[in-house]
Amino acid sequence: MSPTILLFLAQDGVMNGAVYALLGVTLVLLFTVTRVIFVAQGAFVAWGALTMAALENGAVPGTALLLVGFGLAAAVVDLLRARGRLSGRRLGLIAGRDIVLPLALLALDTALAPLKPGMAVDVLLTLALIIPMGPLVYRLAFQPLADASVLILFIAAIGVHLAMTGLGLAVFGAEGSRIDPMVAGVVPVGPIVVKLQSFAVLGVTAAVMAGLFVFFERTLLGKALRATAVNRLGARLVGVRVDGAARTAFALAAGIGAVSGVLIGPLTTVAYDTGFLIGLKGFVAAIIAGLASYPLTALAAVAIGLLESYSAFFASAFKEVIVFSIIIPFLLWRSFAHGAPADEEEE
Amino acid sequence: MSSKRASSKVLAPMLGAALMALAPAAARAQIHIGIVVSETGPAAALGVPQKNTVAQLPKEIAGQTVEYTVLDDATDPTKAVADARKLVAEDDVDILIGSSATPATLAMVDVAAETKTPYCAMVPTKSTVAPLDDKRRWVFKAPQDDAIMAAAVFDHMKANGVKTVAFLGYTDGYGEGWLTAAKAAAKERGIDVAGVERFQRTDTSVNAQALKIVSANPDAVLIAASGTVAVMPQKALKELGYAKPIYQTHGVSTMEFVRVGGKDVDGTIFPAGPVVVASLLPDSHPSKAVGLAYIKAYEANNKTPFAAFGAHLADCASIMLNGVKAALEKGKPGTPEFRAALRDAVETTRELPANHGVYTYSPADHSGLDKRSRVLIEIVGGKWTLLPDPK
Amino acid sequence: MRAASPRLIGLAAVALMGVAPLLPFTPAFWITLAGYAGLSSLVAIGLVLLTGVGGMTSFGQAAFVGFGAYTTAVLTTSFGFSPWATLPVSLLTTGLAALAIGLVTVRLSGHYLPLGTIAWGISFFYLFGNLAALGGYDGIGGIPPIRIGPWDLVDARAIYYLIWLFVLIAVVLSHNLLDSRMGRAIRALRGGGAFAESFGVDTAEAKLVVFVYAGLLAGLSGWLYAHVQRSVSPSPFGLSAGIEYLLMAVLGGSGYVLGGVVGAGVVAVLNDQLQNGLPKLIEGGGNLDAIVFGILLVAALQFARAGLWPMLRRLGPPAAPKSVDLSAPPLPRTPPPDKGAPLLEVEGVSKRFGGLVAVNDVSFSVRGGEIVGLIGPNGAGKSTTFNLLTGVTSATSGAIRFRGERIDRLPARKIAERGIARTFQHVKLVPGMTVLENVAIGAHLRARVGALSSLFRLDRAREAEIIAEAARQIARVGLAEHMHKPAGSLALGQARVAEIARALCLDPALLLLDEPAAGLRFAEKKQLAELLKRLRAEGTSILLVEHDMDFVMTLTDHIVVLDFGAKIAEGAPKIVAESPVVLEAYLGGVE
Repeated sequence: MSPTILLFLAQDGVMNGAVYALLGVTLVLLFTVTRVIFVAQGAFVAWGALTMAALENGAVPGTALLLVGFGLAAAVVDLLRARGRLSGRRLGLIAGRDIVLPLALLALDTALAPLKPGMAVDVLLTLALIIPMGPLVYRLAFQPLADASVLILFIAAIGVHLAMTGLGLAVFGAEGSRIDPMVAGVVPVGPIVVKLQSFAVLGVTAAVMAGLFVFFERTLLGKALRATAVNRLGARLVGVRVDGAARTAFALAAGIGAVSGVLIGPLTTVAYDTGFLIGLKGFVAAIIAGLASYPLTALAAVAIGLLESYSAFFASAFKEVIVFSIIIPFLLWRSFAHGAPADEEEE
Repeated sequence: MSSKRASSKVLAPMLGAALMALAPAAARAQIHIGIVVSETGPAAALGVPQKNTVAQLPKEIAGQTVEYTVLDDATDPTKAVADARKLVAEDDVDILIGSSATPATLAMVDVAAETKTPYCAMVPTKSTVAPLDDKRRWVFKAPQDDAIMAAAVFDHMKANGVKTVAFLGYTDGYGEGWLTAAKAAAKERGIDVAGVERFQRTDTSVNAQALKIVSANPDAVLIAASGTVAVMPQKALKELGYAKPIYQTHGVSTMEFVRVGGKDVDGTIFPAGPVVVASLLPDSHPSKAVGLAYIKAYEANNKTPFAAFGAHLADCASIMLNGVKAALEKGKPGTPEFRAALRDAVETTRELPANHGVYTYSPADHSGLDKRSRVLIEIVGGKWTLLPDPK
Repeated sequence: MRAASPRLIGLAAVALMGVAPLLPFTPAFWITLAGYAGLSSLVAIGLVLLTGVGGMTSFGQAAFVGFGAYTTAVLTTSFGFSPWATLPVSLLTTGLAALAIGLVTVRLSGHYLPLGTIAWGISFFYLFGNLAALGGYDGIGGIPPIRIGPWDLVDARAIYYLIWLFVLIAVVLSHNLLDSRMGRAIRALRGGGAFAESFGVDTAEAKLVVFVYAGLLAGLSGWLYAHVQRSVSPSPFGLSAGIEYLLMAVLGGSGYVLGGVVGAGVVAVLNDQLQNGLPKLIEGGGNLDAIVFGILLVAALQFARAGLWPMLRRLGPPAAPKSVDLSAPPLPRTPPPDKGAPLLEVEGVSKRFGGLVAVNDVSFSVRGGEIVGLIGPNGAGKSTTFNLLTGVTSATSGAIRFRGERIDRLPARKIAERGIARTFQHVKLVPGMTVLENVAIGAHLRARVGALSSLFRLDRAREAEIIAEAARQIARVGLAEHMHKPAGSLALGQARVAEIARALCLDPALLLLDEPAAGLRFAEKKQLAELLKRLRAEGTSILLVEHDMDFVMTLTDHIVVLDFGAKIAEGAPKIVAESPVVLEAYLGGVE
């Protein structure tokens, strides 16, 4: 194997690893704040890319309708749960956040999409559509289960994954799409050429990591989230609103997911179900890092990207077997070295 | 220990509804066709256009009305068999058609044989009709064998001096079918298969596989993938500077491929059923009129452009309905006599023009298609152009 | 209404299931559907035992179905075996695979375990698809049907009977397994199960047993599936199938064997009904069943986490209490230690956590037939000392001897084998099991009878002895009237006493009690003290860690006082109570 091939495979692996890292880091974020192992994160990635693709084609993306649906469902749930005792303010909040905002976004999309307003506006519209979905998914699926065990939350996340994949197929159809690269062209790196888009992916991944670092270390909200992560009850006692923290975390997750989608859209064909396997690999990385450390997750993600790239080169038919089997020794190691992560009583 | 009390959960509604659902009378003045497609799951890209085709199938034949029942198998063979059994048991269908993916289709063969129902398969897999034993007598296959398609591709390669070819295909049944056909066709023509790489439909990168192929530097690459996903390996090859001919399979015979692939897929050569380029066919081609009519009806009924997979369903319907007239003389629809007679009648089909070619079945051949069932297409400037048949 | 016993209703249900397909108006497709429900039931029953009862969530059961199905598919199509001949081979292959995978998987802790099952669930799917011998992604077709005598089982009715016969067997076997010594060990696994180790339960073994059992049921389902479907391909054995099986178990009630059957039935009917009615709602076809199943799974967790079966079960008459035959011969006993002979000797034991010294050079001993109290203010190192004695953690230095044998390096299970029983500061009873069953776990080591014999009810003589012993100990501690209640319904005081009964079932030479009086009312404390005195009179030695000074003073023969990890005083209660160091430690601490 020549150094050129070695280098090329390395850059390909790092590239894929960067995407897995984005997902892995998000999974860690969600797990630490909400204890949800959110396997459906890949759906946000696919929805981000497909929403962007629809906007580029001048069509109103299906996610706009989904958002309205999610909002209505959340409003109904909130109203049912509150029954009679509902203040006017709270009612206003529900109406504004869960009904008016999604409808406004739908109207905005319907007005803007046919004009093909250009990439920058498309990205903003995509983010505006996907980010509110995060908190809504949390509200509908996980908030009623907030005190359940990690295992129950995990099974619920699998349910959310099924539903989100199905919804994705319903609104986007079975065929995949590609989106225009943000930056076209290639640059030579040693003997090989690297796409500028790849640098964009790396750059954004690094920026997201840095952003998360600043957010968690330097801002009050970030610190509140971390407090929730360490001790839910304690955080509640000192006045951190646990549900608020979880909503924020899910909004962040949806945002990072949408950004990942917009980034990989030009590099590969994204279909409604593309997200799941990407998500699972980010997930393998998060597990290797014990669902705790951001830098370790990123490192593990890159390692998986490399492993995948080299195994695709040498034994392409068995690539998935190799990548998913690698997790088992790590799980064993985690189990032995660190004992039970959450040997909690069920229910 | 109420060991099986739970089952009463299943039984109670059974008994309740049973009182309402009186078994339909066996014979009737109406032909019932049961269709199983994969509207969802990995084969949805095939199943959806098939389902969309149902609305334009003939409503009447030989004075009988034709009724269609479509069920989704979610690309799950277990469900496909359950669907097939349901269609036979509940709807008493005269004809079975389905499904979109090979494993489900192979599984349905047994149901058709067991219930002695004439059955039309919509996948190219040869083993649905070969060997033509007692079981497979009931099966007729509409799509072209992979071998027919591969022959067209490899004839073109040979005519253009290709000596070595690399294969890059899905790690699923589609990729496997093509790999087998490609190896055989290459051997026959003295072309060397220089490398076999596989990838996953859901992969986000095939760069490593593409690199391996490029470093082997074959005279041509054959990509066996479908729809928009097939763009990805081709882009990867182009980006690595591979400038020699790239062949694809009929899996890309959808305009989505061109839409997503853009200029990277210019110059791609792939085989397809004639319907795909109906408007480009010479007027003398037997599939031209049928194909144009199919496309027109499809696009009037649906907002989306037509796809070749949907036309397989239309072909299945015309193959099976073609035998109805003869079969009616032997029995009434809904009876075993009718089904047996229909099977016999379909087996005698001669020169039936359809979307994907001209069908001629015999007791020794249930594939029914010849060279007229495929054309070679080259993508030029984002448009499909018909290549002359290599001699 | 004595007539409506659960057994009778069960028999009626079986009879109904038996007759239904023969009725002329039963739609033929429903029989097919019920057959598929039966196939899933087998897997779901295994999953109930594994997940709901044993606490190990598996998303990979479908892979075991694949092992069973592919084994018979290959053997019948390529090697001409008859289907019945492949049944043992299918089970053996699946069993071995489950054993190998289980050896790794059951060692994963917490949520790593389900993640592990996802990983191998996916890996096996791709492996099935990529092995040419297994027909690749197209799979293997032309599998012969099962034959009974001259008849090929191809008719939906015949298949239905065969499948449900197997389901019936699986239900009976699973009930047998759960209602046995190994079954109680398995039921104790949920929520960590570490406490069961203290009664000699090899939890790793119990986990492996239930893992292989669940795998075998899945393999059986696979064998049947291959001959019903007559073709196999990888997709029914992938991750999404695994998820669907889990959905069945959760929906039906993952804590109950029949929950698996109900769940499988509901999912089969839903699958069919969704297909009939709903696709018309979405144009172009969405993956509607996935959406509905996903939402259903989440909703089930939110609103009915115990599943459907407990709701249905409540409609029927309550189950008959487990029969107790007090005439069963008693379990073998070990003679109690001689009064006054050294029993437990703690010699210069220290425990460090990093730089923190939790226990510093502590020595004391417990003699035969005496009650020793271990006291001290909060943070004195009592709990750590207790953990050292019970094998939960091991000492950094020093030695602990029991009857002259060093036990400080032994795990909890081995310590239990030597005749030391314990209770827990935070009560650890399995809430869903009756008091009787909970207490019977204590006798785990005294009647060794394996899982295999319990499956086929060959364990009944030993089981009767175990249950009789448990009942005797319950009576001894005065809980006889609560024997058949679920442990979760006991008041705290009663639960503590039940724990003592469980410990007594071990026939211990030494009883270690961790704050037995905490949370007890005055009268309860008095009763407890009476009980402990009686036990002492019968020759049992007791070491108790306690906060309640009055309780300790009136009860014990000897007291050891710890403060800041070190022993500060020791002696008869009276002497200790007057010791200035002790007063200082307590009063100083309170200030």
